[in-house]
Formats: sequence, C-alpha cells, structure tokens
Amino acid sequence: MNTLLRLTVANIRSLVRDRAALFWTFFFPVMFVFLFGWIFGGSGDSKVAIGFVDQDNTPVSMGLEQAFSQVSLLTVQTGSLEAEKAAMQHGDISAIVVVPSGAGAAVAAKSTTSIQLYTDPSSSQVSQVVTQVADQIVAASNLHIAGGSAVVGIQPMTLQSTNISSVAYLVPSILAMALMQLGVFAAIPLVQQREKGILKRLGATPLARWKLVGSNVLLRLLVAIVDAVVILGIGLVFFNVKIVGSLIVAAGLILLGAGAFLAIGFALASFLKTEEQATGVVQVVQMPMMFLSGIFFSFDFLPGFLQTIARLMPLTYLGDALRQVMVNGTQVAPLGVDVAVLTGWLVVCLTIAARSFRWE
Amino acid sequence: MTQSGEPVIRVKDLKKHYGDVKAVDGVTFEVARGEVFGMLGPNGAGKTTTIEVLEGLRPPDSGTVEVFGLDVCRHPESIKQRIGVQLQSVSLYPRLTVTELLDLFGSFYAHHLRTKQLIDAVDLGERAKARSMNLSGGQQQRLSIALALVNDPELIFLDEPTTGLDPQARRSLWDLIKGLQAKGKSILMTTHYMEEAAELCDRVAIMDHGHILEMGTVPELIGRRFKERAVFFDTNLKLSSAQLGTLDGVTRAAQEDGQTVLYSRDVAGTIGALLALADSLVVEPKNLGIRQATLEDVFLDLTGRALRD
Repeated sequence: MNTLLRLTVANIRSLVRDRAALFWTFFFPVMFVFLFGWIFGGSGDSKVAIGFVDQDNTPVSMGLEQAFSQVSLLTVQTGSLEAEKAAMQHGDISAIVVVPSGAGAAVAAKSTTSIQLYTDPSSSQVSQVVTQVADQIVAASNLHIAGGSAVVGIQPMTLQSTNISSVAYLVPSILAMALMQLGVFAAIPLVQQREKGILKRLGATPLARWKLVGSNVLLRLLVAIVDAVVILGIGLVFFNVKIVGSLIVAAGLILLGAGAFLAIGFALASFLKTEEQATGVVQVVQMPMMFLSGIFFSFDFLPGFLQTIARLMPLTYLGDALRQVMVNGTQVAPLGVDVAVLTGWLVVCLTIAARSFRWE
Repeated sequence: MTQSGEPVIRVKDLKKHYGDVKAVDGVTFEVARGEVFGMLGPNGAGKTTTIEVLEGLRPPDSGTVEVFGLDVCRHPESIKQRIGVQLQSVSLYPRLTVTELLDLFGSFYAHHLRTKQLIDAVDLGERAKARSMNLSGGQQQRLSIALALVNDPELIFLDEPTTGLDPQARRSLWDLIKGLQAKGKSILMTTHYMEEAAELCDRVAIMDHGHILEMGTVPELIGRRFKERAVFFDTNLKLSSAQLGTLDGVTRAAQEDGQTVLYSRDVAGTIGALLALADSLVVEPKNLGIRQATLEDVFLDLTGRALRD
C-alpha cells in the first residue's frame, strides 16, 4: 500500500510539474466553461424573453398580457402557439405563457381556469425566474378579480429549448468532455513511459505490476474529482448553475465515466509505440467525440449517419447522464441505458488493455 | 576478488530468438561471488538480451538461467529483491528530483538503504534536489547507478554504464565501480570499450552474433592469442603486407584504422628490419610505435573486424 501511494504521489508530482499536461488537464476545460458561459450566458443583458399566446382575446387575457409586459425583467412578444414554440425551440425566447380560449368566460362565470406556462427545466435559473414572476402576476390577478380566491391557476408545461443557449446544459457537458479527455489522454504518458524505458526499469524491481497500473488509475480518478469540483464550482459561482439532482449519483457517474475513458486510454496505449503516434491518435479519437456527442449542441441537427455514429460514442452517454442528473436535462437515452453503455465500454476496453498491455 | 561457494550467476546454453534473429544463440557462463564479469562485443552481439534475461525482464527460449541458484523464470520476485539493475539509457520520471526518485525506488524493496547514504555514495550531494531531467549525462548515469544500489544488492547489472560519457565522467564512474567491487559486490557489466573491460573486469566474455567467442581474464585472452607485441605505424602503400610478413620476428601483419600492425616475437629485430626495408624504398614509416597486444587486437583477431564497426 505504501508503494502504491508513493507511486501515486510520484505521478501527481510529475503531472503538477508538467505545464503542458496541467494545461490540458485543468485549464482547458476551465477555459471552455468561461468561454461558453460568456457566449451563451448573456451575463450583460439580464432580460428574459418570453412569448405570450393569447387564444382567449378577452379583457382577462389582455390584462394578463399587460401585466407580463410591465415586468421590467421580461421582454414579451406575442404570436400563435406554433410560432412561439418554434421560437423557444430555436432559442429566441425562454418561456411561453398561453392563455387558452374560454379563460375569460370561466372567470366571468366564477369557475376556475388555468394558464399554461412552458419552461425549459434544463435552464433552471431562467425557468425559476419566469415561474416566480408568473406566480406573482396570477396571485395579483386573483386578488383583483376574485378577492384572492384561486380562480386562475398555472399549469406548468415543459418544452426543450435549443440547448446551445443554456449554460446549464453546457456545464455538465464540459465536465463530460474533461473526463473524456483525461481518460483518453492518459494513453500519452503511458506510451511515453514505455518508450523511455521507465516501465522496463520498473519491471526490473520487485514492484507488483498492478500497483503500477493502480497508481495511474488513482492519479486519474483524483484528477477527475478535482476537474469536477472546479468545473461545477465555476458553473455555480460565475454562472449560477446549480446541481438539482443527487450529488451521490453524480459522483458515481463521474467515477464511472472517468473509469470508462481511462480504460479506453489504456487500451489505446497498448497499440501505440511512440509518443508522437499517441499524441496524434488521441486527437483523432477525442475530436470527433467532442463535436458529435451532443456536448455543445444537440445532435438532432446532424445528418442521419452522423447521428448513428454519435449514438455509438461513449461521450454521448456520459454527457447525457450527467445532464439528466445535474440539471434535469432532456434525455438522449434513459439513465439506465447511459450507465449500461458506459459500463460496457469500461469492461470491453479494460479487457483489451489487460490482454494486450505491453511493458516495453 | 573473493570467489567462494556457489556462483551468483549460472547460465547454460541460453537461447533467445526473435523470429529469424538469433539474439542469443547458446551462451554458457558462470559468475562467481565477488567477481566483476564483463561482456564485450559490438552492438547487436546479444549482451543486452542476455543481461535482460538474467534480470527477469525477458523469458529465455531455452537453456538454464540461474541467479543465486534460483531459476529466473520461477523465482523472479525473490531474485529482484536481491539484484541491482542499471539499464542502457533510461530516463526516469524526468520531473522527479534525485531524492524523490531514490525514496520512491527504495519503497519497492523489503530492505533498502537510506537515500542520503546513496546520494553520498555516488557523489550527487549538490544535485540532491535537482530534477533528473536537468542532470548532466554523467550525473544521470550516477543516479542510475544509485538507483541500482537502493536495495544494497548482492549482484549488480550494469549495461554499458559509461556509453556516451566524456573521458573524465567515465574515469569517475570507473572509480565508483571499483569501490563497489571492493565492497564485495558481484557485478555483471557490458561494454564495448576494451579499455573499460581491461580496467574493471576480473574476467571477460567476448560476444558476437549471439555467441561467446572467448572467455577468461584479460591477460589470459591476450596471452592465448598473442605471445607477441605489436609494432605499428601509419600505413604506407609502398610497404606491402607480403614484404612486411617476412620481416624478422613477424608472425602476422594486419591493417587496422589506417595503421599497419606487425605482431612480433622480436620487437628489436622487427624494427631494425622494417627501417632497413623502408630505407631501401626511400620511405619513412610515420608514427612508429610499440605496444602490448590489447583486447582490441583479440577482438580483431577473433572476428576480423574492429569492435566499434
């Protein structure tokens, strides 16, 4: 155990003292969070655009429209339900208020009615704001119309907006990307150590080989945890992205994801001879995953064959699982499937790595 | 040299082939306790393969390979606890310091020496906190030897310990190795420097193409082939080998690196005859000299080529 810890410490020291490795492991994902956070976070303009759909056209519905328009936090556009849904899916607006026909009549008849509020739960910050505003307006209307009794209610609806506009979508995605990179990139130092004969030299000592592999795994898992804390911390502090789901499930997914990609990295390392080869192949593996796996935009927009490829990539499922658990994002696949696919990659690649691992 | 009891290394008919390449093709030798045994030969002779089989890094194809009387295939762990290994040109965790590396390697062994003691032994005190990547070539070799000594091994393998070093660094490494020998360590080393083998080794084996061609102490090897001393001078085309071969006392004439070498049983007679011959041809043998035959001559005689070809 002492040996395992010392080797892990040696690995940590080697990483911390290697500026290029540090950049890729920590600063690169952090840079991504800030970059995309600023691009899509709209930190300067804090107004939220919503659509208002009036299917009722009575004084009641017009009063509600006016009430929403007067809220300084909101900019309100009106249109048909189809048009507004399209606008929301396109990312132009973040929520839709629908007053269904018959609402005015129901109020006049002193029976109850409800308006529909479409929000995107994956952008939790915006949907919270809009829901609060709508609650206040409806409460005020009820007071005005019926002396406070709940004549008008809110029927919450969900509609996935284009994810590209949501920082909340991006934070777990960038975390998934960072975990993918730290795993796949682990192939490089391993190939390097073999090429330089370090593995061979260690082979001439009584050091058990599982300890050598174990120390590499420990290092990477440690890095995964640091990466996760840093990325989620920045998301929370700078862009107010809160984790809504279970932290324990999230932690489990982070470790599973790191493990799966680490296995992929080790499997790759078995087939690569030189550091130059490793650097190149690792990019060939990680680049398509970064762009096709629905990390920065939903892959619904991709042509069919690329979607098929995307559905084979482990990063698709890690990103999907993290988004589901952390920010209630819409799913590509059920969580169970995500976990199963990642476990599958882990087992297959670990087997390949164990069978074809070479020490020199 | 104290040779007693069981040999520390016993190799019998070791073979190791890679496809068609017979890296080691039937090698047999023993190394006694306390002995410094040298394996000499050009690159590709099979020295490193032999040493790596002994270190437990490669399995032999066939033959008996025992270290401390233990089979290397069956008891690799207990052998590794007792040997020290220095490999050819290895850079170890470049970003760790000398002290950190020695501490780390010490933790691999059940029993190990104190890091301070090791650093002093190889004279790296001033560089103890330097990262290994920032050490000079000679310092890296010293570190590499210190790492081979962490477990206070009974048997030390040194694979070309001075290759690529300047003469001064080589000298100081020789002193270090002599010190280990004085402490009673058994050492198996490879080199392709004849003078290094002559300086350090109790016995040497000359290897080429996976075979041991000759084995013994350096004086034995030279004496076995050369009763003569060598008269040498810059080759001059007017002095033909046929003529030179018939000079007084000459047993054989050879060409070597632009020099003509005459092996002679009667140096004075040979030189007299040579000068007379040169005089008659109106030429002057330049850089004329006399020396003992060396291991280099032995190698040339055995293989027909110089060692570092």
